[in-house]
Amino acid sequence: VTVTVTDDATAPAPGAAAQAVAVVDLGLRACTAYDRPDTAARLTAARSALADPVLHVVVAGEFKQGKSSLVNALVGAAVCPVDDDVATAVPTYVRHGAQAEASLLLEAETPRRESIPLADVRRYVVEGDTAETGVPAGSARVTGVEVRIPRKILAGGLVLVDTPGVGGLASPHAAASLAAVSMADAVIFVTGAAQELTRSEVDFLRRARSLCPVVACVITKTDFYPAWRRIQELNEQHLAAHCPVPLISVSSPLRSRAIKANDTGLNAESGYTQLVKFLTEQIGGSAVDRLAAEAAAEVVALCDQLDAHFQAERAALADPETAKRIVEELTGVKARVEALKTAAAKWNQTLNDGVTDLTSDVDHDLRARVRVVIAEADAAIEAADPADTWPEMEPWLQSRLANELLANYELLRGRASELGERVGNHFHEASSELLSRPAVHNPAPLATIAEFEHKIDLKRMRVTKQAMVALKNAYGGALMFIILGSLVGVSLGPIGIGIGLVMGHRGLREEKKRQVQRRRAEARNAIRRYCDEVIFVASKDSRDTLRRVQRQLRDHYSGLAEELNRSNAQALVSASEAAKRTQSGREKRLKDVDSELARVRQLRQRAQAVIG
Amino acid sequence: MSLIDRTRAALDQAIEVYRGTEYDRRLAAVRERLDEPLRVAVAGRIKAGKSTLLNALVGERLAPTDAGECTRVVTWYQDGHTYRVLATPKVGVPRQLRFTRDDGVIDIDLGVLTSAEVARLVVTWPSQALRTVTLIDTPGIGSLSEQTAQRTWGLLVPDDEETPADAVVYLLRHLHANDVEFLQAFHDTEVSRPSPVNAIGVLSRADEIGVGRLDSMASARRIATRLGTDANVRRLVQSVVPVAGLLAETAVTLTEVEVGQLRRIADLPVRQAEELLLSADRFVRAMPELGLTSIEREALLARFGLFGVRLTSTLLRREVATNATELSRELAERSGLNQLRELIGSLFYERRDVLKSRSALLALAETTRACVRPGSEAVAAGVEEIIASAHPFNELRVLSSLRAGWVTGKPDVVAELEQLIGGSGSTTSQRLRLAPDAAATEQAAAATEALARWQRRAENPMTAYEMVVAARVAVRSCEGMLARLEQSR
Repeated sequence: VTVTVTDDATAPAPGAAAQAVAVVDLGLRACTAYDRPDTAARLTAARSALADPVLHVVVAGEFKQGKSSLVNALVGAAVCPVDDDVATAVPTYVRHGAQAEASLLLEAETPRRESIPLADVRRYVVEGDTAETGVPAGSARVTGVEVRIPRKILAGGLVLVDTPGVGGLASPHAAASLAAVSMADAVIFVTGAAQELTRSEVDFLRRARSLCPVVACVITKTDFYPAWRRIQELNEQHLAAHCPVPLISVSSPLRSRAIKANDTGLNAESGYTQLVKFLTEQIGGSAVDRLAAEAAAEVVALCDQLDAHFQAERAALADPETAKRIVEELTGVKARVEALKTAAAKWNQTLNDGVTDLTSDVDHDLRARVRVVIAEADAAIEAADPADTWPEMEPWLQSRLANELLANYELLRGRASELGERVGNHFHEASSELLSRPAVHNPAPLATIAEFEHKIDLKRMRVTKQAMVALKNAYGGALMFIILGSLVGVSLGPIGIGIGLVMGHRGLREEKKRQVQRRRAEARNAIRRYCDEVIFVASKDSRDTLRRVQRQLRDHYSGLAEELNRSNAQALVSASEAAKRTQSGREKRLKDVDSELARVRQLRQRAQAVIG
Repeated sequence: MSLIDRTRAALDQAIEVYRGTEYDRRLAAVRERLDEPLRVAVAGRIKAGKSTLLNALVGERLAPTDAGECTRVVTWYQDGHTYRVLATPKVGVPRQLRFTRDDGVIDIDLGVLTSAEVARLVVTWPSQALRTVTLIDTPGIGSLSEQTAQRTWGLLVPDDEETPADAVVYLLRHLHANDVEFLQAFHDTEVSRPSPVNAIGVLSRADEIGVGRLDSMASARRIATRLGTDANVRRLVQSVVPVAGLLAETAVTLTEVEVGQLRRIADLPVRQAEELLLSADRFVRAMPELGLTSIEREALLARFGLFGVRLTSTLLRREVATNATELSRELAERSGLNQLRELIGSLFYERRDVLKSRSALLALAETTRACVRPGSEAVAAGVEEIIASAHPFNELRVLSSLRAGWVTGKPDVVAELEQLIGGSGSTTSQRLRLAPDAAATEQAAAATEALARWQRRAENPMTAYEMVVAARVAVRSCEGMLARLEQSR
């Protein structure tokens, strides 16, 4: 299928990315030349991220607002099934591929994928259909469907994620969508032109905006509702008052028709040109720039280390007396660097203590939150007959708990960031004391420390994004629990309603009353059982998450200490060699070192230019 | 003695007991109500299209409709000899209000009252449609202004209180089945306690479901059918039908002038018409040579919606309808209005005596609880006796239990039971799943057969207790049908 109209989408400007790739390639050569395999690994990772940027754009919104239609209209192909009644049940990831293909993302013991024919996508995506067809191969659960199609608009690494509808202010889905949003690069929030933004929609937008850097609101179905301009005005006011994000109005049928007829005028009328521009410039462009800057920063860090190393060598070459002193100093530093790697190091203690504290705080917070929910549920049970309200009780309870779990998770994430910062500071204090000597360059420069938590985050995000389904690994089961919406494996179950059929004798009223009392008692017990189960699963998940955080931080700083050690060792070798050189050898080497220094500085400059 | 007669007797007895008390007038009113038309409330969440549907049912644009939330006071529309609007304030005596009609819509001047002070408005309007039912327009449940919602709750009151409305047409919007709001919609009505006995569900704004495609109504019908089998919906309404409210309202108020305007679109070549109706914007602006001003076009959109314009112009082009009368008939059918009217007829009107007795007995029971007097014990016992023993009530109770899933069995058995006790209409042929014009002998044969079948079920020791109770009721229903057939012979 060739699409001309969709070619209004230009891939993000390659400028920064291409420059960054060139700089990283030079950096990699330098790693080989100066024997720095540790840094080479980091650069290689940065390079592959640059070569295959993956930008998740989550399309979210209430039930039946036209999310799937919007994705279809954007790419100009019917990739997401659209139905008047049933809704999207699992997320569809639409991304670029050389040819059209589809695969299932399955969650089993280990997440895996399975190729399926394009025609089968509907079976898995549309609600209710999966139950009938069953899931292939074992009891793996379908967590998503990935569709690849050759489209220029997606070529920049854009992945459009069509999500199940939010379904009301307090639904479990809302929390699930928000959790997904927290890992996206951008969010497109979809609302129909039938009515102005509701309170719950504005709430969702506001929370999404605090979780995700780029958010846009899109009004759909402008072809069908004559009053859409008025709705647009009202929405503009709502957004300006509560959460200033861009607002774009579109009509998906017009766009689809425009593509079919290759009608540029109609395409403009559909409003999609604006949306496409937003996607490529605001989302695609910025994300690639960010990746380029990150890669270049790695090169700068490498250059700084090499620079310091050569300067130390240069100092030693220039004056043999100094050389001796430097060797002594570096030998002294060695022991202390090794101490930094042990469990007794202050940063390591801070980390261990911090995680222990955090674990108990998070657990306490969770229990306190659930207790509030139970109290609310009890009040609701007391206020009405559970026989009437029971069917809505489970979704209500799920959504309340999902929201509380999300809040609990936010606490965990915030506190873990703080802890990361504290650990980073302690590490920095210890290492900068060691590295205040002129001879050794600090492999963890101040800037890196300050951005450390951010970096860890990015690292984690990257892992996540390569397969959003594999969230469990990266983001912690706690979140997975919420994302799946249904609080997996926990069910409220029916309560005995009692025999509703009492007739033909007196005392009907009293009998009814008695039954209600019994139902209430049963309902209260069921709620408690359910909450116990949720606490059990959720607290295990958050403990696991914290353990992962701990491991990640420990590995990161141990790695840095190791780099420090290595840098120190190399400087030590160079300095001792310098001391042993003859006068002529020294002069010759000095020249080499000077030219190396010039080269390193040049590379640093180029890398710095990419960062901007 | 029929149910309505027993009810009347119980009321007469109560009026004697309570003579001279403050309940005197109230009981008299309840007694009178037995002879008045059935009261049907139109309820649902805000912006569900209640007033629009009410207008369609009356056949006149009486209730004001607007893009914003506009019904703020419970308004009764009843038949009468003169045009009159009466306001009942929460405090004080009812007073007559001035009103004007603007383009058919009644514009009521509340005078010195504010909408918060008015308990209800009663619009008396000579109208054929209102002769058999009194319609009650309600403010939306779930309104942002808590007070408005409270007023609706006050109208649709619980099981053991007097219910101002005998039956409810409940408007549902198309929401996700897991949507808490969707489920709460039923929770709200739990307070109001409509039951499968006295409520019909309407999937409103049906034309929006397919975003105006010509097959939108087919889609809506499919969704309504699915909703009708949803456990939550079944517990509360008997049946769900899709209605495109705007189109229904326009159908019954269509003018020749409008048909003339639509014909201009119908006369265009198909492709051009399609282009013109691609979007609301295009319809208002494109093709100036059409001979319709943009104001006229906007007016058409307001009356028909984009779906309506697409549908009517297609109908005119294909000559399915050629004039206003025919088009009106066609639209009434296609908008789902006719089906709704039939349902109201078979499920409410046919059963009006039971529904009215139910309301009256509930009111009476409440009175005996609220005020104990010499003799009131006997009245209360009498009421409970009727409620517990009258066969129509037993049928209703079994029906509710079936719908709530309290009585279970094989699906076809349950379905048969439901029909037999009047779940989809209370005429003999409806109960026996026969053609409406089935001969009496055929009906008798079917009833005898059903009687034997349900007797066996009731006596079978393997049958679950709940089903035994239900089967006994079914047996009584069969006996009742046979007795009536015998009488009419």
